[in-house]
Amino acid sequence: MNTLTAFTRWLENGGRTIGQIAITRSGDGWELRHADDSSDGGELQTFTRWQDARTLATLDDAGAFRPIKTTNDLRHGWRLVLSSVAEVVRALDYFYPAMLGLWTADARGELTPTDLRDTLARQTGMYRITQKLTDDQAQALIGRQCSRCLKTMLWRIAPAQPITSLPPEKHQRAAFPLLCREACNLLVGLARGVVKEATSPESSTAAASPPA
Amino acid sequence: MLSKPDSALIIVGHGSTLNPDSSAPTFDHAESIIQRGIFGEVHCAFWKEEPSLRQVLDCVESEDVYVVPNFISEGYFTRTVIPRELGLDGPVTRIGRHTVKYCEPVGSHEKMTELLLARAAAIAPGVPPEKTTLFIVGHGTNLNDNSALAAKREVERIAAMGRYGEVLSAYMEEPPLIADWATLASQLNVVVVPFFIADGLHSYEDIPVLLGIASESPGAASAGGASVFAGNPYSLRGRTLFYASSIGTEHGFAEVILDQVAAFDSVK
Repeated sequence: MNTLTAFTRWLENGGRTIGQIAITRSGDGWELRHADDSSDGGELQTFTRWQDARTLATLDDAGAFRPIKTTNDLRHGWRLVLSSVAEVVRALDYFYPAMLGLWTADARGELTPTDLRDTLARQTGMYRITQKLTDDQAQALIGRQCSRCLKTMLWRIAPAQPITSLPPEKHQRAAFPLLCREACNLLVGLARGVVKEATSPESSTAAASPPA
Repeated sequence: MLSKPDSALIIVGHGSTLNPDSSAPTFDHAESIIQRGIFGEVHCAFWKEEPSLRQVLDCVESEDVYVVPNFISEGYFTRTVIPRELGLDGPVTRIGRHTVKYCEPVGSHEKMTELLLARAAAIAPGVPPEKTTLFIVGHGTNLNDNSALAAKREVERIAAMGRYGEVLSAYMEEPPLIADWATLASQLNVVVVPFFIADGLHSYEDIPVLLGIASESPGAASAGGASVFAGNPYSLRGRTLFYASSIGTEHGFAEVILDQVAAFDSVK
């Protein structure tokens, strides 16, 4: 089953919430808005093109760039009115990139997660240093960074090392699961910072010094 | 005209975890190609944003898949990162149910020359080219790619046409430096076109400062960095200077992406 067919069936079966987005019928079409925004819609700015979803997903309420679109900081104050399920799918590809595709692949049994050690092992160039990330550093970084993301984590540190720094629900599929098949580039970039910080001369000196 | 209703197109960009400027042209070109209905599916994929190179093939339903790097030159990303992340082992790779065809990057296409000329003409309307120095600006060093060579190649092609009084390549970080534009240029009119895939830090901030048309960083596009183009032309150091946005924002790039797919098919 392809994504459009699967998603149409999901809507027909009453599915109405994906991440922070609520989906409702609007005449013959569909309306998307932030799930926190009131149902009367009086104060919301109306958009009508699926392409508008790119702009709506780019910045948070404070105007900061959202490099990962599945973090729990989708901006408020808008309603996106679309004419067809196909347009809703295109809009959701901007709100939650790749998530409908991964959902379909998962349902087909084709989604293969990649553990963190495998992700880091293939890095080259400026990210090769992330291979020095320790297990403890990885757990701490993941606990800090991934808790703001709405995705369900499918990967581990390594086959015998589950992620223990996040609550159990982060590993359980939601009603409409946003799936994380592998550590994102943002996390790999942050891992680089952790390793560089830990291996810098200043850090060694600080670690070797007795507490003040 | 190209028609691929049973194929998918993946346009690969670099992306950024810091601002939306880097991925914007790739999304723009994808939207343009979607509207034309040429492919059964059109996807974007990025190194530093989502959809990521690791996610995108899971989202593709067609068996037949073309991958076009929206990069200015062959180099580290097109030869190492993209093939590694997608799992490619040559021009054609069978991955699961997909047959993935890896095309040349957009910047390698001969149509780049035409697009650079169009952008140079558009930014300085009515200015006689024969009395103009045209700079094609690349990054130079620090990037593991051949963008400097690509800029030189375009300069040679444009210079050979004899249309401009002078055509020069210049770089941010290696000689000839764009910061020396006033001593390098022999003509009274100067047109500067950044040979980059997207606007952003380099075109909004770094190059304007090196040219002397901005004294401090105005910020990324989302913070109003594009205002640097509204100041054209600049009267500076006895010259009239016209500063264009990065070549990758040119709408004609969508056509070049399609041309790279056609070029792949023509040599198979």
